[in-house]
Amino acid sequence: MKARILKRGDVFKIIDLLRAQGYEVIAPFCGRGRDTYFDAVTDENRDEIQIHLPNPYYPPKRYVFPHIERLMKVERTNGDIHIEPTYREKKRAIFGIRSCDVAGINHLDRFYLGRDFRDVYYEKRRKNLFLVNVVCTDPDRDIGNECFCVCADTGPAARDHFDLQLMDLGDEFMAVAGTPAGEALLANAIFKKAAPGHVEKRHAILNEVRKRFKPGTTSWFSATVRYVSRGEILEKTWEEIGNRCLECGGCTYVCPACTCFTVSDRQVGPNEIERVRIWDSCGLGGFTRMAGGFNPRKAVHDRRNRRFFRKLAHYFIQRELSMACAGCGRCAAVCHGDIGMPSVVEMIRRATAEVDPA
Amino acid sequence: MSTYAENVYLPKVAILDRVVSEIPEVKTFYWHFEDPEEQQAFGNFRPGQFAQVSLFGVGEFPTSLPPSPTEKQTFFTVRQVGSCTTALHQLAPGTKFAVRGPYGNGFPMQEYYGKNLVFVAGGIGLIPLRSCIVYALQNRDKYDRIQIFYGAKTPKELMYVPALEEWGKAEGIECHLTVDCAADGWTGHVGVVGSLFKVPGVEVPVENTIAFVCGPPVMFRFVIKDLLGMGFQEQNIVSTLERYMKCGVGKCGHCCIGVAYVCVDGPVFTYQQIKKLGEDI
Repeated sequence: MKARILKRGDVFKIIDLLRAQGYEVIAPFCGRGRDTYFDAVTDENRDEIQIHLPNPYYPPKRYVFPHIERLMKVERTNGDIHIEPTYREKKRAIFGIRSCDVAGINHLDRFYLGRDFRDVYYEKRRKNLFLVNVVCTDPDRDIGNECFCVCADTGPAARDHFDLQLMDLGDEFMAVAGTPAGEALLANAIFKKAAPGHVEKRHAILNEVRKRFKPGTTSWFSATVRYVSRGEILEKTWEEIGNRCLECGGCTYVCPACTCFTVSDRQVGPNEIERVRIWDSCGLGGFTRMAGGFNPRKAVHDRRNRRFFRKLAHYFIQRELSMACAGCGRCAAVCHGDIGMPSVVEMIRRATAEVDPA
Repeated sequence: MSTYAENVYLPKVAILDRVVSEIPEVKTFYWHFEDPEEQQAFGNFRPGQFAQVSLFGVGEFPTSLPPSPTEKQTFFTVRQVGSCTTALHQLAPGTKFAVRGPYGNGFPMQEYYGKNLVFVAGGIGLIPLRSCIVYALQNRDKYDRIQIFYGAKTPKELMYVPALEEWGKAEGIECHLTVDCAADGWTGHVGVVGSLFKVPGVEVPVENTIAFVCGPPVMFRFVIKDLLGMGFQEQNIVSTLERYMKCGVGKCGHCCIGVAYVCVDGPVFTYQQIKKLGEDI
């Protein structure tokens, strides 16, 4: 990997470079209060882009897997049906994507592009996406109370799956290329050669940042993976978790690694219909309800069980070679019943201690 | 960008040829693809696979493929139960709709060469098994004994009556029928499907036998109990599952039970696998 150094004042020039190459650049901005969001960069808002800020709750996965996405347009004329798939192939770059979300997108890659069938809609968006990862180095602004990327092994500095990675070293930024496309960008004159001192500084900063995460929350993560995979968690524990679920689906909508969707047709003209796919949530009651009313997963706790099984079971981790939890902590931040990933891991740890007191 | 793989979500236009009423609320829809090449490619499906049917403006639903690939015709048998199936039931012959597939693993009929086949079906559970039965009969020399045990609530609710009559008379196949409630004119057996196993003169081979079970959840549970009691091994009992499905290609997540996506890992599972999935059938 090539490392380069650029001046603090030159960081946004990366955005200008990408925009000049025809990319629509997405970057994080601050809203009111804690609210932060990703939005398209324009000449007007370019100087308001934030390098350090709490990670937006609405995950950047929507740029590869949108909340609502049209799959095809269907026209009916005189009894004939004309079906036309609709693709989006615009070049897009996300500047300032966090390491957890990079891992999330890598998981989506493994899921949508792996196995027997490839998802062409995802593929087209993904192939045109350029990721500029920013390492979380500011303990006050970057690292939230719920963050646990150190436990999920996805951060604070992503090891791969980005095109370019930026890390704040104080007066300067270190830039690392992860792909040939990222490396091509490093040829620009704003990037200077890095000295050994820079690399040492990077290590020192990362070592310091790792200590700033809230201790304990998910230290039992890997053990939970083992218990979930073996099906050794008692029904009673799932019921306790399910009792706290308000069935809002929030955890799945903010998750950077959730993949489920539903498909719906809607009338858009007198003879025109569009078929769209919309994010769906395994937490909602209708998720598995069949025509006729039979629902194999009627109880709330069965659905909670499902979510955590899908995320943590060893079978899926092995099949996708990536875990469907990136450690971003969003589910913990938005859950009204406090059953985000860290809390569930803790509930399972306690329940296991009760069964088998040490 | 280089070439992309085919779009798996894109259905192909199909034309409805004719509609046959089977039993109340259940009809068989004969259809073909507008494009003859599509028709030919689709024709290589395996018994037990399924297809996604699109009624644009209403939605898309998965349905099993009752024809055997050896029959060279394509049709669905569908019960009117939700909005999409209602829309299908209202289609007039000649109308265009859309289909994609076939999907799923299907029954490994070649692996069963040389074995006895026992088909146990209840109600509309005969629809997915019809494909295997016809396939087995058209490859009769490849299999040992073939038995069918089929039950419905009333004589009026027996599916595929002309086929049942044909199988009843055909050589080399034993076809046993039953109904839960008899009606005037019914001279056959009365009782649940499992009771057919105990009828005098009926002898079900257990060794070297594959049992196909398909029917409503209650029937499934009791038949499984009967078969296990007779000495069937769990891996020799096969069934096909149904789940709410959107994509049919392992992406939308609705049909996933335990570690299995019913659409790509199934819908055909052995009872040994079903037991481990950990959810109601």
